[in-house]
Formats: sequence, structure tokens, C-alpha cells
Amino acid sequence: MAKLIWLCLQFIMLYSTVEAVFEDQVGKFDWRQQYVGKVRFSHFDSHVQSSKKVLVATENNVFASLNTRTGELFWRHVDKTGPEGNIDALLQHGQDAVLVVGNGRLLRSWEINIGGLNWEVVLDSGSFQSACLVGQQDTVKHVAVLKKTVISLHYLSNGHQKWIENLPERQAVYSGGNGEVYALGVVPHSHIAIVAYSLEDGEIIKQISVEAPWLSKIQASCSVIDQGMLTCVDPATVSLYMLDLHLQSQMTQIPLQSLGLEVTPGFQPVLVSTQPNPARPPLSEFLLQLGPEHHLLLQLNNGHIVTLRDFKPAMLVSFATTGEKTVAAVMSPKNKTACSINLFSGETGRRLLDTTLIFNMDPNGGKPEKLYIQAFLKKDDSVGYRVMVQTEDHTLTFIQQPGRVMWTREEALSDVVTMEMVDLPLTGTQAELEGEFGKKADGLMSMVLKRLSSQLILLQAWIAHLWKLFYDARKPRSQVKNDVTIENLSRDEFNLQKMMVMVTASGKLFGIDSKTGSILWRHYLNNISSNPAFKLMVQRTTAHFPHPPQCTLLIKDKDTGLATLHVFNPIFGKTSHISPPALTQPILQSLMLPLMDQDYAKVLLLVDDQYKVSAFPSTKNVLQQLQEMASSIFFYLIDSSQGRLSGYRLRTDLSTELIWEVVVPTEVQRIVSVKGKRPNEHVHSQGRVMGDRSVLYKYLNPNLLAVVLESTDLHQERSFVGILLIDGVTGRIIHEAVQRKARGPVHVVHSENWVVYEYWSTKSRRNEFSVIELYEGMELYNSTVFSSLDRPHAPQVLQQSYIFPSSISTMEATLTEKGITSRHLLIGLPSGGILSLPKMFLDPRRPEIVTEQSREENLIPYAPELLIRTEWFINYNQTVSRVRGIYTAPSGLESTCLVVAYGLDIYQTRVYPSKQFDVLKDDYDYMLISSVLLALFFATMISKRLAEVKLLNRAWR
Amino acid sequence: MTSPGGQGGGALSTRGGSGARRMKWALELSLGNTRSRGGGQGDVVHPIGYSEKPVPDTSIQETDKNLVEKRCWDVALGPLKQIPMNLFIMYMSGNTISIFPIMMVCMMAWRPIQALMSMSATFKLLESSSQQWLQGLVYLVGNLLGSALAIYKCQSMGLLPTHSSDWLAFIGPPQRMEIMGGGMVL
Repeated sequence: MAKLIWLCLQFIMLYSTVEAVFEDQVGKFDWRQQYVGKVRFSHFDSHVQSSKKVLVATENNVFASLNTRTGELFWRHVDKTGPEGNIDALLQHGQDAVLVVGNGRLLRSWEINIGGLNWEVVLDSGSFQSACLVGQQDTVKHVAVLKKTVISLHYLSNGHQKWIENLPERQAVYSGGNGEVYALGVVPHSHIAIVAYSLEDGEIIKQISVEAPWLSKIQASCSVIDQGMLTCVDPATVSLYMLDLHLQSQMTQIPLQSLGLEVTPGFQPVLVSTQPNPARPPLSEFLLQLGPEHHLLLQLNNGHIVTLRDFKPAMLVSFATTGEKTVAAVMSPKNKTACSINLFSGETGRRLLDTTLIFNMDPNGGKPEKLYIQAFLKKDDSVGYRVMVQTEDHTLTFIQQPGRVMWTREEALSDVVTMEMVDLPLTGTQAELEGEFGKKADGLMSMVLKRLSSQLILLQAWIAHLWKLFYDARKPRSQVKNDVTIENLSRDEFNLQKMMVMVTASGKLFGIDSKTGSILWRHYLNNISSNPAFKLMVQRTTAHFPHPPQCTLLIKDKDTGLATLHVFNPIFGKTSHISPPALTQPILQSLMLPLMDQDYAKVLLLVDDQYKVSAFPSTKNVLQQLQEMASSIFFYLIDSSQGRLSGYRLRTDLSTELIWEVVVPTEVQRIVSVKGKRPNEHVHSQGRVMGDRSVLYKYLNPNLLAVVLESTDLHQERSFVGILLIDGVTGRIIHEAVQRKARGPVHVVHSENWVVYEYWSTKSRRNEFSVIELYEGMELYNSTVFSSLDRPHAPQVLQQSYIFPSSISTMEATLTEKGITSRHLLIGLPSGGILSLPKMFLDPRRPEIVTEQSREENLIPYAPELLIRTEWFINYNQTVSRVRGIYTAPSGLESTCLVVAYGLDIYQTRVYPSKQFDVLKDDYDYMLISSVLLALFFATMISKRLAEVKLLNRAWR
Repeated sequence: MTSPGGQGGGALSTRGGSGARRMKWALELSLGNTRSRGGGQGDVVHPIGYSEKPVPDTSIQETDKNLVEKRCWDVALGPLKQIPMNLFIMYMSGNTISIFPIMMVCMMAWRPIQALMSMSATFKLLESSSQQWLQGLVYLVGNLLGSALAIYKCQSMGLLPTHSSDWLAFIGPPQRMEIMGGGMVL
């Protein structure tokens, strides 16, 4: 055994590649962007006048602090995904931020300067309703948490519970700073029940029950204003109801008509009050929204409601307080592309002078959704403010007066669904040259002229380049900036810089430069349904100048099944002038064919629910090609709800016929995912060289599918995981592997002739990797043509399993231009690391007993454990939170593969699975080499001359 | 391969082993040489043209013919004689691929090839021999054996493309006959 381990170590030392980055390479080829997600709660840190912090709690269960000057993160805490880490409430007091997490499961307090945890307490079970800070005599010392049937009071300093009381169902909690805590509840369509507790010991001071048959939800339509005036708005009777929590036991009805107000029909009015200091009662001013663009600032004055100001049109209104002053910020539309924001005094409703701020709406963005105001007192005691605008596309824009955008954060990027990398176009001059050959020939003379003109342009560009070099050389290095803009985008020498087209769940598309990570274009699709499925396809690459590259995004509404196509230019983000076909039938799948139309756009086939096929583009040329090719076009559909895998063949009239069907019993197992091979994958070597120098040929079936099955029974003794290798053309099951006592989630990578998958073994309670490799054998059946319909021999199947020490989030294989470079598996770990595991370790031919031949083959002896070596982490200390996907793309260099990991963060880097065999090292000494060469050259010249002289002299002697 | 001929010594030499030009005698014209000084003790001064060395009998003899024959066989058997030596070197250098064994193999392969290239020159050498054709054949066989040995060495070192794996890189990816696509129902 010791010998085996020693041998194993030796092999690892000898044959594994080292991939660590040098210290000076940090950030040279890679970048990371950290996001927080769609903001749910936000508070500006206001306890210090010059504070630069804004706290945000997001729907992605992230709690973070942003720098208001730059928009960067001060700190960020990423909680569990799903409802367990859901942030229910964010309360801020001084230096502490109190969070209720996981439907009232946890109460946490954070120190907002450094983001440290002050304390955390586990609350009793029960669904969370509401929370508020409780103050008394101008100091805030407690926080009250109301759950469905229990109310508890905790100390702010240490989280200890002061008292806890059971009570019938309540929905809201309120404290006016007078030593009482009110729990408000409503019995729908019957009455409001109010209980007042003493702050000191939780004793019930009084209980009130008020008739309110019109009220159904208290949080949506009620708010407490002034000295404990519960105010509700009822859209049915179009009136306000008021109730003094201290005295009255009858609600007073104030019809809005008596105030001269009207509600937009069909609109649910909204009441917003403000309580700047939890130790004091709320202000008597409140906002009432009566229509989508109609807001009112009202005041309760001695029991009468006074209209202070009518804002119409006003899209968004928000309160902000600084010192003793409360202001209302109102955003109103200015013109089509801009909004103006103004401040109005909270007490009087007067407009404050010099507070206009212009917010330019991005034509490619969404509408403003929320306003967060940071108000501050200027030196002359007037109120200044900055504003953070949240738009529909989850973008945060921070604006300073008079409209200078300080920063924007594209939080939609925290939820990337799918992406593609597109080659950048050649420079304009190169493209000019290419275009010369692309166009149709028209006469000798014009061709000559064209050639001359393009050469002239090239010369001009070269001179301009030289001039720029000369000009830049005189400037200090720090000033020379190579800003990438959409105008100067061009492909670099080795095609290492590409355009990342990212599709996010919110329906916003981004074009990101892969070298720097700067967002070059964005486009918001504002008619996206709430539950969309996306599929992004590159129809035409940049290789077909002068035709622009073209991407097509298939957006399917999962609820209705209807789909739309968005056709755009991936380099500039502009919507293409090509009008996509209107799809009236629900679409099941799409299929990209390698056929091209006369404009070099690949043909996209869309399969509708009648199994009819429509082509896009559908020109005559395309239809003709389709008719010719129809008999060799196949597609498969997998319906996991019915457990049905079916294969279809295209007929010449674009209808389809079912040719095979496999049904998986859904009561036993369900289809989780299916993985085909990537269409742009190249395999250089058709076989593997054995120790005796014969060849074991790979079974490279391009139509092979790996279907993952999981058992519906999750009992640890009976659960299993299955992999079905099935030919997508014939439906023939090539191989079936079942892992008993195993459970998902299964991550699978399918490439070349192998399938690697990872699962949880319930028997041994560990994560396991399994690899299946397929070989044709020692002879090729047909080396020139691969047809699934003509494969009489079943492939040889080899399989091996390994233990992996960590669970994984996602997995992908590296991809290179020609497929010569060895493959690595890129594994996203939940810890935030991205591991580059050589495929060599996952090789079913790893022998248990080392022989001469296996050593000749460089096979590592089998060891069940796969180690995680720290230098395999390609992202060193740049943690990537919640990796959901890894995208790999080949570059122009065979050794280099571009990698993008996306999840909450986005990380881009390059990997070199076989080291950089085709690149000179960074520290290659050009000077030394060239000077040595030159010196040698001159030395030979001189010595030649000397030798000639000497020979001549000797001849004369 | 020393040049045949040059059997004569001293001042008198016969040139061209075939005996086309023969000199009966030679004049020693240099005066005051060591010999004359050495011999100066004696009172007799040698006459002009006198040499102390006995003049060999250069008349055509039967033995000469034998010598030429022998010489020719030496030439013809040369390559064959090297084979044991080569075998020894082969054994010593082993089958690992590194710079020295490669150099040895190159030498071993190159020498017979060079010899075969200059076959005509060798034939000219053997012209005088009566068994010219046989000798030529032996020479050829010897060289061929030498190169065969080199090839065997290459083979045992694995330098010959005799296995299917050596041609693996030339197999292109097969052409795909069917177009397939699809996936889970979106």
C-alpha cells in the first residue's frame, strides 16, 4: 500500500500541471464583479452626517453595505438561498442594523461600520408578520417582533428576550414611544383587534375591538400617523377611516370626496406615513397615492385632514428625514427620456428651492420603481439630498444634484440565466479588406481601385497608430488609458478578448467586454413575463463581414407556452432590423442547424406543440435546403412531467414524424436533465494510445445524449440515480448506469467520449464522482463518416467512481480551439472556489495494479479519493459566491480556454490545461535574446572579414 | 581504407599500386644531408645517385597480385567486420531515447547509407581484383546488414511508425451524417 501511495505521489508530481498564478499576475487576466441582487430594503446610514454607507437587504438573501461615493461594496453577507435565508425585515438604529431572517427564524444584529455580527438569537417558530423598534423617552432600547400568534420584545444591545406573550392572530406591530407596544390584527371583513402591551413587562394594558367589515389586510391599507391615529384607506367606499388607538373605539369615516379627491378607477390607494425616530410618534403628515401617477401630501391637523400638496403627475414619492427636517421627494416625468426630482417640505408642502435633480432614464433600461433619498443638512441649514433610484431592471442609480450620476449598479447581473461568448469584429480597416473579397466581383478596374483604396486606408491606419504610439510615449504611463468603448472594439491577435452576451432573469441583456468586465451595452426587454425560459443562440458570427453578427434569444413564457424571438446584434446590442416571425403556437424547443442561408445566418428551427416546424429565417433558399436535407434532420424532445423521451424526423413539408419513444415511469423516477455534446467541440485525437502502442478508438457519437434520472423515492435505502446514454437519432440506448443508494442533485458533463457525473451517496454519506468512457475498440468501424443509423457494434463501456471531499455547485469542461490540449473539469464549489480538476484523474482506465504498460500510458494508479489541491483553484482568493453556471469558450490560442463563472458574482479568467505551450512566457527576455543574436551576427561578420585578410596575407608570404 | 599502393619506401617510391608507372631508380640530389654527414666519417663519398637503401625488386611478381586481391577483400569485408562492433554498441546504448543512443543510431544508419551512395567509387577501387563482382556483392551485403541493424535498433527503440498509434494523428474527425438537436421541453 505504501508503495502504491508513493507511486501515486510520484505520478502526480511528474505529470500533473501546475496552474497557480504568480503574485504579479493577479487581476491581469481575470476579473470579478460582486453583486447583491434586487434590493428589497435599503437604509442610508444617517447617524453620522458624513457617512458614506447605504445598507441594502436584497431578494437574493444578501445583506450588504455600499459606498455611496463609488457604489462599491464595503462588506457583504451572503445568507442561505431559498426561504431559509430570506430577509423579512431590516431595521436600523444608530450603528446597529437588525435583521429578521428566514420567516422569523432568526433575529440578527449587525454592526454597520465593519459588518460584524453583534448577536444572533433564534426565535420561536411561527410565521413572521412584522417588526419594529421600540423606544421610550427618546432612547431606543428594544425591538419588537410580531409573529402570527406571539409577540416578543428583545433588547437591542444583546438580543435577549425581555418578554414574550401569546396572542391571537395579529398582523402589525406599532410603537409610538410612550412605553406601549400595540399589536394590530384584523379579522377579515369583521373587525380590527388591537392589544396594547406595557413595554416593561408585557402586561396587557388594554384591548380594543373595532368594527371594520370592509378591511381585509391591515398592512396593505393601514398606517399609523401622528399620535397613534390608525388610518386606513378603503377603495370600495373611497374613504379614509381613522381610529385613535388611545381613546376611541369607533372608526371615523372621512370620504375622500369631502376632501375633493378622486381615486383612479381600479387602483388600490396606498397610504405611506413616516416615523423618523422610533422613540417618537410618527409625523402627522402622510402620503396618499390615488393613482399610478397621482400622489398627495396630507396632514392631520386637529382631527382634520388637510391637503398640503397635490403631486400630479408624480411617479414616485418618498419621505426622507435629516435632523429635525422631513422632506418629501417627488419624481415626476419631465419628458420621454428624463424625470425630475424635487424636494418638498414635509410640514408645509412647499417646494424647496434649488432642489431639482434630473434623472435621465436609460432608453435601454426599465422604469423607476423605488426612490431612496439620502437627505443631509447643508452648512446654511438647508436640505440637500442624493437619491438612489431603483428601476424595474434591478438597476441602482445614485444621483447627486443637479443630476450627475455617481454610479450605477446592474444588479440584474446577479441572476444570469444563460450566456454566450461572441468573437469581436475585426478592426474597421481589417474588415474593409475582408469586405473587398466578400463582395461580388465587378470589373477589373474597379477591383484594382478598391484594392488600392483599401491599401491606402491600411497605410493611413498604420500611420495613425504610429502617431498614437509616439504621442502616448511622451505622456506618463498612468495617464495612458486604454478604455474599451463600443467604438474601438476590435479583435486582438489571439482572439482572447470576446463579447460576453449575458441574459438575466429580469429580462435585461448585457454585452460585457471579457477583458475588462466593463458593460458595453445593455438592453431591457420590458415585455417579459414573470416566469420566462430563455434560450440564446448565435445565428451568425462576426466571420461574415459585411453581414453583422446576429444572436437570437428565444423567450418563452412558461405559463402560457407562447414564445417570442428577440433578434439582436451581439456586439452593439441593437435590435436587428430583421423582423422575427410571429409565433402563434406555443413553442416546445428550438434547434440550430448548421445550414446557412445566403446571408450566412444559421437556420433556426422552432418546434411548436403540434410538432410542426417553422424555420427562421425562412427564405426560399432556406426552405429549399431544408427540403433537400430533411431526411437527415432529427430532433428529440424530453417531457420530464410525463417521463417521455421522443425522437422525430423532419419531413420535406416541415411536418415531423415520430420515430422513437422511450417512456420512463414517472412514479419511479423522473428525468432531471439531459446533456448533449457542445456543437463547437473539436476532438483532435480519434483514439487513445495504449501501452503496447496499439490504439483504442474512441466512440465519438455526436448524437449521444446523457439523460439523468433520479428516483422519486428519496428514502436513503431505496433512492437511486441513473444515467441513460441514448442515441438521439435512433433512440437506441447505448448504456445505462444506475447508482443505488444515491441521491441528487446530479451534476453532469458530457464531452468527447466520456460522461462525468457527481451525486450524493446516501450509503456512504459522501459525494462521489463517476466517469463513463465509451470506446469503439481496437478498430474503427468507419473512419470517414459517422451515421447513427449504421452502427452495428455496441461500444465498449468503462466506468470508475471516486470519492470527492466536497459537494459541488456546478461543473463544466474546458474547451479549446482544436481539442489538442488536455481537458480539465471546472468545478464550482459551494465555498466559492472554482477548481480545475484534470480529466486525467477521472479516467476509468486507471489501473489498480501498476504494470509496465499502464506506466507507459501515463495512467495514474487508481486511488478512490480525489484530492483537492489548493493550486487547482483558478480563482485563488477571489471567492465567487453561489456559482450557478460556468461557461467555457475557446480562444484563438490552442492552449487557452476562456472561463466565466456566474452566480451572485461574475468571475472571468483564462485557464491553460496543458500550460502555455504556444505562448512565450511573460518574463521572456526579448532584450537579452535579441542582443545576443545581434552580437553573434556582428561577431561572425567581423571574424569572417579578419579571416579573409589573414588568408590573403598568408598567400602573399 | 588506406590507399592501396605505397609499398615502396625511402626516396624511391612506386606510385599507383597498379604498377602503371614504375621507377627503377631515383636520384638523391640533396647534398649535405645527414646521411652524407654521417657517412662523412668514411672516406668514400658516394657517387651521385647512390642510395644506401637497397632498391626493392619491383618487377611484377605473383605475390603482388595476391596482395591486391587481399587488399580488395579487406575493403569488401570492412562493413561486415563492423557489425559485431555495432552490435556491442547497440547493446550498450540501450533502448531509452536520449541524445547519445540517438547519435549512435544516426551514425549506425548513416554510415552504410553513405557507403552505398559511394558504391561506384568503391567499385573503382576493386577494379583490379579478379573477384570484383563477388567482392562488390559482399560489400553491398555488409552495408545492407549494417543498415538493417540500424533499422532494427530504431525499431527496438520505437522510432519506426509501425504501429497504428503512429498514424492516429492523421485520422480526421468523421463526417456527421445526421443533424440532431433538441432538448427538454422549455
